[in-house]
Amino acid sequence: MDSTTQTLIRYEWKTFVRNRFQLLMLAVTFLFGLYAIYYGKSEINGQRETIKAVQALEQEEFSSYKATFTEEMETLEQEQKHDIASLPAYAWYRHGYHAILPPHDYAALAIGQRDLFRYYYRLTGMSLYYQLFENELANPVNLMVGNLDLSFVLVYLIPLLIIAFCYGLYSFDKENGTLVLLQIQSVSIQKVTLVRLAFYFVLITGLALLISIIGLISSGNPFQIENGAPAFAWLIAVVVYCVFWFGLLFFIVSFRQSSSFNAITAASCWLLLLIVVPAILNVVVTTKYPLSSTTLAGLTRRTGLENEENDEEAKEVILEFLAHKPELKGSDSLFKQNLLAKAYAALTSLKDINSQNLVDQYNAQVAKRNTWTSDFQWLSPAVSMQDVLAHIAETDLVTFMYFQDALAEFHEEITDFYFTRLFWERPILLEDYQAIPVFNISEANGQWTIVTGGLIKISLIAGIVFLLGFINTNRWSKA
Amino acid sequence: MHQLWIIVIKEIKIAIREKLVLILASTIVMLIAVALYAGYLSYQQQRSIIVKTKAEKRQEWLNQGDKHPHIAAHYGTFVFKPKTALSSFDFGLDAYNGTSIYLEAHYQHEFMFRPAQDHSSMIRFGELSSALVLKVLVPLLIIFLTFTSYTQERESGTLKLLVSQGIALSRITWGKILAYCSIMTVILSPFFLGMLLLSTISVQQESIPDMTTRATLMILLYGVYLFLFIAFSVWVSQRSSSGRNALLTLLSCWMLLVILMPKTVANLSESFYSLPSMREFKATIEKDKIDGIDGKQPRSEYLAKLRKQYLEKYEVDSVQQLPFNYEGVSMQAGEEYGNTIYDHHMDKLQKIFESQNQLVSISSMFNPFLSVQNLSMALAGTDMYTFKHFEDVVEKYRRELVRRMNRDMAENSKYGDFYGYEAGIDLWQEIEDFSYRTPTAQEVLRNYRVELTSLLLWMSLIIWLIIGFKGNIKPIDG
Repeated sequence: MDSTTQTLIRYEWKTFVRNRFQLLMLAVTFLFGLYAIYYGKSEINGQRETIKAVQALEQEEFSSYKATFTEEMETLEQEQKHDIASLPAYAWYRHGYHAILPPHDYAALAIGQRDLFRYYYRLTGMSLYYQLFENELANPVNLMVGNLDLSFVLVYLIPLLIIAFCYGLYSFDKENGTLVLLQIQSVSIQKVTLVRLAFYFVLITGLALLISIIGLISSGNPFQIENGAPAFAWLIAVVVYCVFWFGLLFFIVSFRQSSSFNAITAASCWLLLLIVVPAILNVVVTTKYPLSSTTLAGLTRRTGLENEENDEEAKEVILEFLAHKPELKGSDSLFKQNLLAKAYAALTSLKDINSQNLVDQYNAQVAKRNTWTSDFQWLSPAVSMQDVLAHIAETDLVTFMYFQDALAEFHEEITDFYFTRLFWERPILLEDYQAIPVFNISEANGQWTIVTGGLIKISLIAGIVFLLGFINTNRWSKA
Repeated sequence: MHQLWIIVIKEIKIAIREKLVLILASTIVMLIAVALYAGYLSYQQQRSIIVKTKAEKRQEWLNQGDKHPHIAAHYGTFVFKPKTALSSFDFGLDAYNGTSIYLEAHYQHEFMFRPAQDHSSMIRFGELSSALVLKVLVPLLIIFLTFTSYTQERESGTLKLLVSQGIALSRITWGKILAYCSIMTVILSPFFLGMLLLSTISVQQESIPDMTTRATLMILLYGVYLFLFIAFSVWVSQRSSSGRNALLTLLSCWMLLVILMPKTVANLSESFYSLPSMREFKATIEKDKIDGIDGKQPRSEYLAKLRKQYLEKYEVDSVQQLPFNYEGVSMQAGEEYGNTIYDHHMDKLQKIFESQNQLVSISSMFNPFLSVQNLSMALAGTDMYTFKHFEDVVEKYRRELVRRMNRDMAENSKYGDFYGYEAGIDLWQEIEDFSYRTPTAQEVLRNYRVELTSLLLWMSLIIWLIIGFKGNIKPIDG
């Protein structure tokens, strides 16, 4: 660093510390950052509590089943309980398993769609789609307003700081009459502007990184294997995003207009990238790929046999189902015992099989929407940034669609477990409880391509605006 | 008066000369046009689907064949939330409220399918609606238009000339405000016209009975809101030493009022009053449906008592001897028992929602944006209150449906012979098709007194600041 640069930085520092308003803005942003971290953590901790409560309910349910195998049968209630525990004809639709999508540690920093989607389900052997669409309780007003989490502070507020600090980089001097003084120095105005830009870049990006590091450390251990890469990617994203905004401001300043003009232009850019572009994309995607859940609503109806006393109807349903599941065929007592239970098991499974197509179509439409919007993300680095952060924290649509697929698999495991016993007339034994289905969801890896892609998009746009600014300022000395 | 008009005309001329303002203004007009068109399109799409599906479900109900009424009550039917024409103006909570519900005996289902679930997290940036343009973007345009209104006169020395000619400062201010108001009226006139047109065209088959009133109130609401912003901005410009400062102050205010405060308040309300999880909520209801609220009067006890009452009343020894099928009666009694439990828990849940939303209402005293946001949704019929009203109507319909089925069962079937009786289309037709009318604007607005008061107070405050406030004015030649 040469001495002129040092001098420039020293003076910039002096002006900076003298400006109370700017200091106040930094402090306010910092405080908002802390609050956002706190709020995000409390939201996600709330979800963790719910998960614990739900798991406790399941534990309680299953240990009460297991207990009936060892305790003395004294009351009618105990016997009923034992029937539920040991007879597949009752158990298949009563035993409830929880499928849980635990939050990533950094979900607290970018809540994304996590407040909107279910993150736990209680599944029984009954029709999957009957159980899939219930919502979590939430206040729609608060859903609409959205969360003030760290990603919001980074995506919305940090750019405002950058605008507030940089819009007058050249014009202030012009308006205050100090420009002439600068012009007679040996150092070029372009360099002066760049050094000052770099000064504020270090300052504001430093602040953004500081808040991020506080968030990353307080929400999870970044040195843990599953947090390391996300934490690193998060910090990179912050830097890249700041570079973009500084590049944009540099470009705006390079036109040498008045401060007010710069401020208006920068504010309009902010508005365009953070409000107008995403709002238009959202409304276009809604109308371009119209979706109506009314088509799915019918799936949630519980249907029964027309007449439970009519054995023929029951047999028909069972046979229709067995055509799909031949491995359950072959028991001698197929139509002799538990006819009604089998018929209902068959009925609800058939319903799933028959509605599979409808659900797939619906999900395909949702996926299409998602692809369409991600194709247009480059229009706004802010949207890309939000997307990147949500993917790092695993709180975006993709994760939940992945979760849904895992749910379907898990549901199949559950039905397999009970239906083999139901159709082969095997009671559930105490040792069978060792082998009950367990939900697991493998690590989704797809998000890293999206994260890298998003980061590349932002970097490219940052590079372009910076380059344009540079070309523009190159002309300054010639003018 | 003459002077006032001269000022107004001069201000308008100056504003029109400003290219940036023209560009921004035309952008706003275009955005509103896009928003209205897209809003209308999605209204049409959703409405036609809902109308179609609704008719299908009605046919399903009517043509379900002959069966026992209780099975029909379980077969149930579906209700879909109608989309209102005014929602194409302000989507409000539409993306975050469930859109369909399954109605059957014994269980209260919740509304399912929040449309926002079919989107990536980008949906949380918001959807473009004319309401968004008017309440978020237009204020910014106003700021850009007005921040120099005084500072420029001061910096160029013309303010001194004006005042020395004996014109009262407040008259200049009013002149400027009027000028900006007329500019905004011109910019927004196509929109307001469109709004009125929309409200008169599609009155038929609408669930909103008083479209025209609502549209008029909506225009009035935004008129007041934008006037507040104009007057406030001019006042800030008057009090600022330089255009730059005025702009910074105004932008900070906008940021605080429109972006930061709504989120913070909503988040705080979430932290203050936390919601139970659906699983726990349902588990408590299921438990209480057996044991009774707080374990008082379990279901079995309640039903046993009822049985005894009936036996005593009709002076018979067993329910089989009753002149009607007691199963229908006990089924209905069980239903009502369950409803009481459900209502008890639902009320508790609603209280939490209300407390959360009340915090927003109260905050609107400090932030006219919040008032306008709530009132605008209310007038569009996309607010929380209208949704709650709709939910109540739906639940009432469900209860009536189940009651009719149970009554028919009691009157016509025999005790213990469940499959011996089948009802048919005559009974299904007795159940009217579900239809919904929103409450009138007047009724809805009754829930938004705080917001209305807030707007009134802000209005008085601003007018007082301009007319009555005799604080120090910055030196005229700055």
